[in-house]
Amino acid sequence: MRVTVECYGASSRWCGSDAITLDLPDGATGNAALDALADRYPDFAARRDCVAIASGDAITSPTAPLFDGDVIALIPPVSAG
Amino acid sequence: MTDLRSLPRLRDGALNLGDWLTEPQPATAGALNVFAGTVRNTHEGNAVSGMTYHAHRGLAEARLREIEAAAEARFKVSARVAHAVGKLEIGEISVIVVIRGGHRAEGFEACRWTIDTIKQAVPIWKEEHYVDGNARFLEGVPIQPVESP
Repeated sequence: MRVTVECYGASSRWCGSDAITLDLPDGATGNAALDALADRYPDFAARRDCVAIASGDAITSPTAPLFDGDVIALIPPVSAG
Repeated sequence: MTDLRSLPRLRDGALNLGDWLTEPQPATAGALNVFAGTVRNTHEGNAVSGMTYHAHRGLAEARLREIEAAAEARFKVSARVAHAVGKLEIGEISVIVVIRGGHRAEGFEACRWTIDTIKQAVPIWKEEHYVDGNARFLEGVPIQPVESP
């Protein structure tokens, strides 16, 4: 299945793009997507554990399953204010 | 007097403090607490020329409204918050918290809680621009949920 990952904030620098397409096995979770990004981008790998995942307008569990065509967002550490 | 409830809390460009002070003070309120965050010209010894605020717009808008509601329920006050996105210059306002409550104690407490919660629960990122032409995203904190009262 194919999933689109939108990279917000500094994660766009770590991954070198604002959006990335991942091909993942059926039944893959958000964690699998993060693992795939960590394998591909060393700068992301170093920060993987402090990144959350959003789907739509909500934070989602990294253990939730993904589906073909899903769009998820990387939410790196925030610095509002 | 303007009803601000329907306005987006996430705004393009610098905020105008006056825009967020137009609602009437409730007759039962004896305190009006206001916090405004501004862009400063130095950070960790580096000369700063400006700041770009990036956001996950949908989630940020939802979180700002959730924080308002949580502050109102927790402290029994009226709360309004707004945050800027885009490029801001030195001295411009990036975030506003307006609290109207019965007494100063809960007003100060609510204002402090609200800005602290915005800083850790809203998906907004500061990209700092330096006088030497460089820019970088600031280190932040892993996003937290908004604590229910």
